[in-house]
Amino acid sequence: MKLSTKLTLFITGSKLAIVLLFVLALPFLIKQIASQYTNYTLNQQRQKVLDIVNKNGLDYYFQGEDNYGSYTMLKEEFIALLPVESNLKMDTIKDSQRLIESDTLNYRVLSYTFKNDNKNYLLEIGKTTASINQYNKPLQQFALFVLIILIVLTILIDLTFVRILVRPLAKIIGSRLTNRRFPFKDNQEQIQTSTTDFKYLDESLILLMSQINEAFYKERDFTSNASHELMTPISILQNKLENLLSNENLDEEISLAIIEMMKTVNRLKNITKSLLLISRIENEQYIRKEEIKPLLLFKEIIEEIDHRLEEKHIQISLNVSPDAVLKGVNKDLLFQLFFNLIHNAIKFNRDQGEIFISDKYLNNGAYEITITDTGVGIPKDDLVSIFDRFKKTNLQEDVGYGLGLAIVKSIAMYHQLQTSVQSEVGKGTTFTITFPKV
Amino acid sequence: MKVLIIEDEKTLAYEMEAFLKKSFYLCDLAHNFAKGLEQLELNKYDFILIDLNLPDGDGLEILKNAKKSNPDAAYIIITARTNLKDRVNGLDLGADDYLAKPFYLLELQSRMQAIARRKFNIAEELIPIGKFNVDLQKRLIIFEQQQIELSRKEFDLLSYLLLHKNRVLTRVQLSEHIWGTFVNDDYDSNYIDAHIKNIRKKLNVWADTEWLETVRGVGYRIKK
Repeated sequence: MKLSTKLTLFITGSKLAIVLLFVLALPFLIKQIASQYTNYTLNQQRQKVLDIVNKNGLDYYFQGEDNYGSYTMLKEEFIALLPVESNLKMDTIKDSQRLIESDTLNYRVLSYTFKNDNKNYLLEIGKTTASINQYNKPLQQFALFVLIILIVLTILIDLTFVRILVRPLAKIIGSRLTNRRFPFKDNQEQIQTSTTDFKYLDESLILLMSQINEAFYKERDFTSNASHELMTPISILQNKLENLLSNENLDEEISLAIIEMMKTVNRLKNITKSLLLISRIENEQYIRKEEIKPLLLFKEIIEEIDHRLEEKHIQISLNVSPDAVLKGVNKDLLFQLFFNLIHNAIKFNRDQGEIFISDKYLNNGAYEITITDTGVGIPKDDLVSIFDRFKKTNLQEDVGYGLGLAIVKSIAMYHQLQTSVQSEVGKGTTFTITFPKV
Repeated sequence: MKVLIIEDEKTLAYEMEAFLKKSFYLCDLAHNFAKGLEQLELNKYDFILIDLNLPDGDGLEILKNAKKSNPDAAYIIITARTNLKDRVNGLDLGADDYLAKPFYLLELQSRMQAIARRKFNIAEELIPIGKFNVDLQKRLIIFEQQQIELSRKEFDLLSYLLLHKNRVLTRVQLSEHIWGTFVNDDYDSNYIDAHIKNIRKKLNVWADTEWLETVRGVGYRIKK
């Protein structure tokens, strides 16, 4: 999952959890607040009554009577003032029932005793519990409404910020990690960001890529230089042997020895030429502008290699579409690529074996060519390394892949082709070359 | 025929000289850029072989200069740098052929023969071998007015042996000629034998091919 998706999900999820918690807690909270507030008003009212009593005397309420009582029209509130025994002491707020004019109602009642003129009085102020909670519902709704607006607002702000925050990361991934082509571009531009973590990541990636490039260039230059340097001594050896052999008075033994030496020099030459070819491909010295029909290419290769097919009595079946066309390629290199693969398919085949060459278009528009043989196959452990230079498998003593498949790999890389190989020991091997959609 | 070999690798120049001498070419050697220019001022040559990598200058410069002093000569560029650009440059500047190191001296000689035929208009008649006649220009082999079909490679082989008649050509020399610059690391293959076998089979239908000899362990020769 992408980082921005994760962050989005997390932010939205955590906010929703908070909303849920708040919704669950809201009735309780509102009730609590209402109850606290009621207690507070009751105390305020008590203080008011006491202030009035202190100022104006009890008679202000009693008006000659020995107690005082009053309630509002709907009996939502009442107040009562009456003398009590001198040893009674109260200062409470409690929920209790009161009978007012034959109605029994639930009240929150403040009871408070105080002394006046050495007499003990009890003050009671009450509020119906129903009226305490009358604002709870609208309050809840309003609070919920405000909350939801706030949450939506913060989510929007968060997401915008997250997007801006991770944008450099997306750029790093897009330009460095996906769709990268080897060798990497030199002097890559740094991605602009004020986040030091991303900066560091980007710098490290650029550094790593340039190090890989450098190693690749070094190897490429070495291969190129070494094989060039080797060509001159090989030339001298080859020509000296040629001159020796053209001496007409040679006895047979010596001329056979010279032939052996020529073969060895030739082998050395071919290895060097192969390395040079690889280094030239890696140096991009070939032009990729030709258009070829794979069917014709295969026919040409088969003609070239026909004698070897006959020698081993191998049947080759060519099932390639006559309409298929490859564009932007180098014909010589593709000839070499498929020649090497078919050559291997013969070399590692059994006597009277078969080779199948076929093509198909994949759903994504890519074009695929497969070459299957009925040969000895390649052990699983060797499959990963057969494209490496000078890798030999242990199948048969003296038979190796040499540089043939290394050449295949470099030509494929040069043309942005994918190579894959499947094999079963004793049954055969299939090489697949995939051309990207044009 | 006079040949100037401009090659800084002395051993290589000597080997080329030794080989060409046997075919009655007269050779002068120049081991650097300056010496090469000097020789070109002093003498006229039929063939000029130029190594591009000289210690004191670019062989292509020599080619440009030599074209003025020796306009009728045939030029063959020899180099270890086998990239396309050099090749195109060389041929653009008027070189007749291009050989990549390492090459077989035999190949060098047959290129020179081919250029000579082309350039100096050496009239080419039908070349007889045994009871057959070979037309190198039209790439035909004929037995009493009857054309015999050979594949491209088979004809290449036969004509190469014919150009170097009475000389034993080894399998590696022959395969190098046939494959050219194509890289094939299958050095021990016997496809030359397969081609020779086919040539014999096709020709034996009409007449014997005793002139095409197998030299055991070495290679093949056309004897005349």
